[in-house]
Amino acid sequence: MSAPRWSLWNPGNRQLFAYLLLLPAVLLTTAIIVYPILSAIDLSFQKIKIAKLGRARAPMTLANYEELFSSPEFYQAIWVTISLVATVTALSYVIGLATAILVNQRFRGRKLARILVAVPWAAPSVMAAIIWWWLFDSSFGLINWALVRTGLSSEMIPWLSTPGAAFFVIVVVMVWKGYPFISVIMLAGLQSIPLELYDAAKVDGANAWQRFRFISLPGLRSVRGIALILVMLWVFRDFPIIYILTGGGPQRTTQTLAIMTYQEAFKFHDFGFAAAIGVVTLVISVIASWIMVRRSDEPLM
Amino acid sequence: MTRGRWETVILYAVVIAVVIVLVFPLYWMFNTSLAPATQLRRFPPVFVQPEPTLAAYEAIFTERPIGVWLRNSAVVALASTALSMFVSVLAGYSISRIRARGSQAIGLFFLMSRMLPSTLIIIPLFVSFRQFQLIGDLRSLVLAHATFITPFAVWMLKGYFDTIPMELEDAAMIDGCTPLSALLRVVLPLSAPGLAATTLYGFVLSWNDFVFARTFLVANQKAWTVNVGVASLKGEYLTEWNEIMAGSLIAMLPIVLAYLFLERYLVSGLTAGSSK
Repeated sequence: MSAPRWSLWNPGNRQLFAYLLLLPAVLLTTAIIVYPILSAIDLSFQKIKIAKLGRARAPMTLANYEELFSSPEFYQAIWVTISLVATVTALSYVIGLATAILVNQRFRGRKLARILVAVPWAAPSVMAAIIWWWLFDSSFGLINWALVRTGLSSEMIPWLSTPGAAFFVIVVVMVWKGYPFISVIMLAGLQSIPLELYDAAKVDGANAWQRFRFISLPGLRSVRGIALILVMLWVFRDFPIIYILTGGGPQRTTQTLAIMTYQEAFKFHDFGFAAAIGVVTLVISVIASWIMVRRSDEPLM
Repeated sequence: MTRGRWETVILYAVVIAVVIVLVFPLYWMFNTSLAPATQLRRFPPVFVQPEPTLAAYEAIFTERPIGVWLRNSAVVALASTALSMFVSVLAGYSISRIRARGSQAIGLFFLMSRMLPSTLIIIPLFVSFRQFQLIGDLRSLVLAHATFITPFAVWMLKGYFDTIPMELEDAAMIDGCTPLSALLRVVLPLSAPGLAATTLYGFVLSWNDFVFARTFLVANQKAWTVNVGVASLKGEYLTEWNEIMAGSLIAMLPIVLAYLFLERYLVSGLTAGSSK
């Protein structure tokens, strides 16, 4: 420490400067994040409907949580959320990794191919939902036409109003939008693996599969964890894709915890109950992001 | 690198097939947007428009207020990004440079806030905005969008500041700069690309929002953002798919272009520290 770091400032002043710089951000986020979260938690302990908002605080009660944990809808939403997160993450991972390996090969037009396969990532969720809405349209959609035309289906399928089919559509849209994220990150990971490793392995007689299994996969270990958790959290918290396509239906077969929270608040106006579901989703998000923070090798500061 | 002729052919075939499958929905969107209204409810579908028409684009600009929606999206995105960037530059710099008691906890708070479920925070925000009569007002969106732009921007900027050697500020301060002017005159100009990327991404995040815009503005059509407006074009019984596709294309074009520019910044931000 020979450099005169902040030598014009004694340590006390330096700390003060640090706090002054943090102050605007802390004030802003206290107003729009911390206070709202605390009042949502508070709301979840009150039996309150929208009409009463802004009035005196309702008495403290556990009624919302009791109702929640005894409600079959809640467990159904948990099940839908888990299946959706697992399915979308697994498929995005496989497709994303395969795509990354593919565009990591040397060929002419590789740059263009890399851009094109990443484009769905850039499509806003609302637009992704709308595109597939049209493709899966029950009367004039291209997919129904193709299925009937090829004889795979004898009639037009009402995709979004059929329980299993609606879930399938949501999975397709999410994988289409989510896999490029994985493949972009995996590609960056693959490029950070030194080529000498592959050359050495070839000299030792390793075949393509062995090079993938023993060089590429271990080399991707650290980026893979982050990518997977980010995709899981994205699916877990998604609102626009499900809301636009199905609104959680039919028969709640696509209703995740996030959608259920929203519907309880803004469709059924049961704010206290909605806040209770929201608090549960918050706890799950915090645990997941905590795992992610712990997994990254870099010390946070 | 040696590759046999057949291997080359197979590689190209696979690449082309993969690209077509993945990009086809976007092509179909474009193709539909150029279709005349008469063609939408007829089979077989037309894969290449023999007589492409811009009628759908004309219709959404004359019969629908898409110009107003686009402007609203842009205004909200600019304002919420400006607000977030102002506080995030200072905070990101502080976290990057100075070890102060509690600043690590604050940094961690921003990191965790990035994962906040919007469907939770929207409930208390709605309650507060109702009290302040901000529902239906674009200002509600500016504040709501800052809830997700600020945590992201703080961390992205901290990452850029970390790459700038501290000796530069020390030298500036020995030459008589105050710490604040060292930040403004030395560090910020050097991190211009990072600032640009973070600003652009903040803009993208705001532009892409649906849940807040839909909830706070639903009753006031004049205040709709383009995402809410375009999604509303889907009718209960009859949908003019060429118009909704034209609208979607216009709404997503600036975002796709932004991503092409941003990709390497986002990737290096996401994989920083984990690829070691």
